[in-house]
Amino acid sequence: MDYKLVPSVCSYCGTGCGLLYRVVNGKITGTWPMKSHPVNQGKLCIKGWNMHQFINSDIRLKFPLIKLNGHFKRATWDKAIGYAAKKFQEVVQRYGPESIGVLVSAKVSNEENYLAQKLARAALGTNNVDHCARL
Amino acid sequence: MQKRVRKWLEEEVVDVFVAYIEQKGHILPHVFSPDSLEECALLHPGLQRYPLEEIALELAEEDPELRIGILARECTKRSLNVLSTWNQLDQGQLIPMEVSCCPSLLQEHARCSYLNPDQPGELKTLYGLDPNACTQEVEALEQEELYSHWTYEFSKCIKCYGCRDICPLCFCRECSLEHTDLVHTGEMLTEVPIFHLVRAVHMAGRCIDCGLCEEACPVNIPLRLLYRKVNEIIVKTFDYYTGTDMETAPLNILGQEIACQANPL
Amino acid sequence: MTAKRIAFLQELLAFIGLKDRLHLEWISSAEAQKFVQVMSDFTEKIRNLGPSPLGPSYKDQMIPIHKTGVENAKKSQKVA
Repeated sequence: MDYKLVPSVCSYCGTGCGLLYRVVNGKITGTWPMKSHPVNQGKLCIKGWNMHQFINSDIRLKFPLIKLNGHFKRATWDKAIGYAAKKFQEVVQRYGPESIGVLVSAKVSNEENYLAQKLARAALGTNNVDHCARL
Repeated sequence: MQKRVRKWLEEEVVDVFVAYIEQKGHILPHVFSPDSLEECALLHPGLQRYPLEEIALELAEEDPELRIGILARECTKRSLNVLSTWNQLDQGQLIPMEVSCCPSLLQEHARCSYLNPDQPGELKTLYGLDPNACTQEVEALEQEELYSHWTYEFSKCIKCYGCRDICPLCFCRECSLEHTDLVHTGEMLTEVPIFHLVRAVHMAGRCIDCGLCEEACPVNIPLRLLYRKVNEIIVKTFDYYTGTDMETAPLNILGQEIACQANPL
Repeated sequence: MTAKRIAFLQELLAFIGLKDRLHLEWISSAEAQKFVQVMSDFTEKIRNLGPSPLGPSYKDQMIPIHKTGVENAKKSQKVA
């Protein structure tokens, strides 16, 4: 019977509220706010309160998938990336680079956001980059 | 206190002990076990309060034979009483170590997060309600004024469900606040403050005025005031003191035997 | 049991600011006269109290209170 309370940070938005995960026998079963955390001081929004749900969700992606004939089939990383790159190139050739938009989010790290806009501007050649918080 | 807990674990008075530990400057809830007795040196009651009863309930569910020690403040003791009244736990399984921290003759304020309650700001006194007020003061206001004050308070609600998630006495697996017919999802400034009214009715006979809900509310709605009033009504109507009376709560109809009599015309 | 619950709810609504708007009465289908009497009295009582603030105009009342609150907060830089 192993019960632990693991302090962590919420990964949803850029605020970064302090959380405590309730871990029973190695599995996350609940979320509490961290009362002594300077950012949130014991308060959370509804997304923060339900952090434990998406971690163990059975609809999380486990491996790359490619849609063939309307069904998702398992693929390797190289195949999936190559397929995506090929499709992007087709779109750019047919409709021009400005037809692609890139949407980044607060759920990924700042470094990944930087890479995404670099991909958009340098590789794809589009200026249409925006963030989920602006919606 | 650290020595007492260590002694209890060593002498097998309890199998595990639920209390607080100091970890990197934060006071967090922790389950102490006889395998790691050196952790007892870091035990610290602290000022922060967490619903330890929920940890005890989860442990009891996994292993009904486990003897669980728990650091019981006055609020924890009351909630354990109410939980056993509602048949959620077996009082014999829990061995509380009592800590006295509520206001008493010797100390004016509680020794916990209610050490010195915050005074409300200018805007709140103008439009809202003072959470430190007593219910008689609030009832003395005119109906229209009272209504507009409560409306202001309830309109701030962002429906984070924090009050329900942290309440040690909200144990229902199927919560009626998640029922889509009652509480519409995705609507801010709801038509009727149905969320709060439903919650207030459900807190009758359950709320023990620990204040964790108000601490967890991001927009500072005076929930304690509302639930204190609800429990005053229960005292007046049913003469039932939640937390100290050990009979079934008056609004709990589960387990009641109803006699049906045939009434031929 | 129902009587106690309704009494409890009436007090709770009075605390929120909606007094005297809830009434409980047990009437059998054979007591038509009593039904008429109770309904007329209650309708008169409600008419004297005025329209319920929880009607269709709820949102129209709510938004001004909220707006003034937000504007004042911006002016004085304090948190409600």
